Amino acid sequence: MLQYILKRILIFIPTLLVISLATFAISTNAPGDPVEQMLTSQSGEGQAANLQATEKAYLALRKELGLDLPIFYFAMSNIASSDTLHRVAKTFQRDNLDRLTYEYGNWPEISNYYKSARDLEHAVFSVNKDSLNRTPLISMKESVNDVLTKYEPGNLETNFTNIKEKIGQAPSLAVLSGPLATVESNYQKMVSTATGWKYYIPSLKFYGMDNQYHRWFFGDKPWFGKDDGTWTSAGFIRGDFGKSYRDRRPVGSVIWDAIRYTFLISMLSIFLVYLIAIPVGVFSAVKSGSVFDQIATTTLFVLYSLPSFWVAIMAIVYFGGGDYFDVFPPYFSPDLDGGFFNDVKEMAKYLLLPLMCWTYGSLAFISRQMRGGMLTILGQDYIRTARAKGLGEKTITWKHAMRNSLLPIITIFASVFPAAIGGGIALEIIFSIPGMGKLVFEATVARNYPIVFAVMMFSAILTLIGFLVADILYALVDPRISYSNKK
Amino acid sequence: MSSSSREQVNELEQGYWAYVKRQFKKNKRALFSLYAILFLAFVALTADFIANEKPIYAQYNGTTYFPILKSYGVALGVSSWPKELQNVTWKNLEYDSVIFPPIPYSPSNQDFKNAQYKAPNGEQRVKSKRWWHWLGTDGLGRDVFAGMIHATRIALAVGLVAMSIAGLIGIILGTIAGYFGDQGLRMSRIRFFLNIIAFFIAIFYAFSARMYVLGDAIGESIISFVLQGLISVLIFAAVMIVANLIAQVLKKIPFLGTRMNVPLDLGISRLIEVVVAVPRIFLIISIVAVAKPSLILVMVVLGLTGWTGIARLIRAELLRVRSLEYMEAAKALGFGDFRIMLKHAIPNALSPVLISLAFGIAAAILTEAFLSFIGLGVPAETVTWGSLLNLARANPGAWWLATFPGIAIFLTVTFLNLIGEGLTDALDPRLKK
Repeated sequence: MLQYILKRILIFIPTLLVISLATFAISTNAPGDPVEQMLTSQSGEGQAANLQATEKAYLALRKELGLDLPIFYFAMSNIASSDTLHRVAKTFQRDNLDRLTYEYGNWPEISNYYKSARDLEHAVFSVNKDSLNRTPLISMKESVNDVLTKYEPGNLETNFTNIKEKIGQAPSLAVLSGPLATVESNYQKMVSTATGWKYYIPSLKFYGMDNQYHRWFFGDKPWFGKDDGTWTSAGFIRGDFGKSYRDRRPVGSVIWDAIRYTFLISMLSIFLVYLIAIPVGVFSAVKSGSVFDQIATTTLFVLYSLPSFWVAIMAIVYFGGGDYFDVFPPYFSPDLDGGFFNDVKEMAKYLLLPLMCWTYGSLAFISRQMRGGMLTILGQDYIRTARAKGLGEKTITWKHAMRNSLLPIITIFASVFPAAIGGGIALEIIFSIPGMGKLVFEATVARNYPIVFAVMMFSAILTLIGFLVADILYALVDPRISYSNKK
Repeated sequence: MSSSSREQVNELEQGYWAYVKRQFKKNKRALFSLYAILFLAFVALTADFIANEKPIYAQYNGTTYFPILKSYGVALGVSSWPKELQNVTWKNLEYDSVIFPPIPYSPSNQDFKNAQYKAPNGEQRVKSKRWWHWLGTDGLGRDVFAGMIHATRIALAVGLVAMSIAGLIGIILGTIAGYFGDQGLRMSRIRFFLNIIAFFIAIFYAFSARMYVLGDAIGESIISFVLQGLISVLIFAAVMIVANLIAQVLKKIPFLGTRMNVPLDLGISRLIEVVVAVPRIFLIISIVAVAKPSLILVMVVLGLTGWTGIARLIRAELLRVRSLEYMEAAKALGFGDFRIMLKHAIPNALSPVLISLAFGIAAAILTEAFLSFIGLGVPAETVTWGSLLNLARANPGAWWLATFPGIAIFLTVTFLNLIGEGLTDALDPRLKK
């Protein structure tokens, strides 16, 4: 048995690794730039100093978040692409460079072209604005941005012509013709020495330990030896879950705040479900086919099919302070002042409706399992023997039959924990309860990846533990089940 | 022979599936649900003729038109609207004679005179009872009944397509895992490793090197995308075939040619565990929230996350069935593995899968409704049952927005669950009636 448990725990490790890779892959491929979202945007149009300041802030934040590192230990790419592409800061420019690599394949020339285009951009922003060059400068800034983010030859050539034209419109802009000429000549060189075939030769690029995944999962804090404090993260595996992108709070504390509510409601709900469903299931089985059984089965089936978010909406519309009954408050905002009884009363007021919505769905499932199990057991021979011995029905039902049919119920209980985390997403969103479901939803939409990762990993860990606990309980409760290898 | 014994003989002669059908028909609730779902499918198919702002038949300025049919033609690109019918408000035209669909509104039709949530039993500013909004309107004046009819199409499509994908993946993977186990498939070492390497190379040439080609093709049209997609699939297949051919040659070398067991069951079971470990709704939300909203994406994601149950069921069935005599007989007759799997193993293992499919469609419809309820998945203008419920959230006073779509979801899910239950009972030999 112990061997079995150890073997199962060992298998956790590759499973968790794969899950971490998968969640990581999903989020890094997502569109949108978290750094841009985090910087409260200053409109970057302005003098060169301002442009430099924004860029500096952008690069600094990017470095701090570790987003300037390559994504993984290695990447499957082609010999045309550069392996330092991830260092280019702006997403659109990076994507454009990748596209140019596809079109032309000659990275050194592309790199020169890109550098000269950036020099041109810098020069454009360094020009002192005066009344003459104000209008042409606006158009030129757009053109320069297009040059950096577009690849179609027609588009680029139009932009070059446009810039040349605008240069002629004001004397102060003549200084830009030099950089523009460099850009154009580099462009011609890039196009003429194209080696597009290189894009089709695969090559494996190695990046070593210094990559985003390693830093997230294992951390760059030294494992042995001197800790000189220059590390960014101790890694998921050592308990450092990073900081939320939204308000820089440690992910651990954000999750802890949220999980308390979800846990509270889940536990109460499970308690209620088992309290109601087990007796109902037992009675349904004992009086199988009776009026009670039929009514119970039908009612529970109907409850099972009601979508929980619909019931929640209906509850709010009809009971929650709309045009009908004003019994329950629709939004979760309890007035907790620390006093125990007051808190309990307040929480009860606000949790009653969500609790009911949370609970009714599982009632059907659990009681049907109970009923099914009981029916099978009641048909067994040993129950007949017990009756023949003269034991009362009540004893038979509650002492013998029910205990044996608790087996599936116990094991379901073990797998309830992962549902406790994410199960109530709909209800939490509707009732505005600040629990895990709402946290994950908002974090995903806001691209708040540290939180998304942490929650996914926790869910996976809890699910795996839940399965293991269920299997162990199976073996403990039913002595016929054994995991050891019998010789 | 008397008629009842003739029936008995007929019963005995028919096959397994005929027996299942008979048992199913005896379950009145399940049969009713089946008819109900078929009715919904009919509504979904003919939705354009039930609720549409365009008339079915119109005589206008002397010419006869069939505008709804014509709009199909326009969408396919084979016909176009005459000048006088472009950008018109159909209900305001002066017709010689006209037949409008039963609900003369499209789901996206904004009725400005009735905007701001008009109730079904309240005041509505309409020309006549014919134009009454029987289930009310939403904030923009869109008719709720029309929205619900068209949403039926989306719901059923999502359910069917998602579970088809899930079923396909689940059956294929589950069968391979159950039939071959860990020792069923043997091949030379060189072939195994070459296949693994070739897989990555094939992905490179078929997809990652063609990333821009495929991306541009999506932007152009569906046809060019399908074409480029097919080319990619062909390239993938070609690379894999070449790899296997090379292995055929190289396996003559003694060390490389040693036969080994391919641990298919191990690999697929671990894969199932990984997919199951992450809660499905989290996975779906994380993919759908970051990608561009589209219905196809929702269907594909639902399919890709819902196959594990089916795979496990079929794997268990195949593990049970693998050692039965008829399988041995088939192998002894020299049938290849593929044929045995397809013609003998899978058809007999399908019973639990069918049940799972019925419940799976219900779950897929529920999940899609939930996704549109929180604003993810389908594009913003598409009206689905979930999106109508979402509107109700913003305006709790509009009870018709909360009640009717919810009833629709509830009924559809109930009917599907009842069909699933009916199948469970029909397929269980112990419950033979």
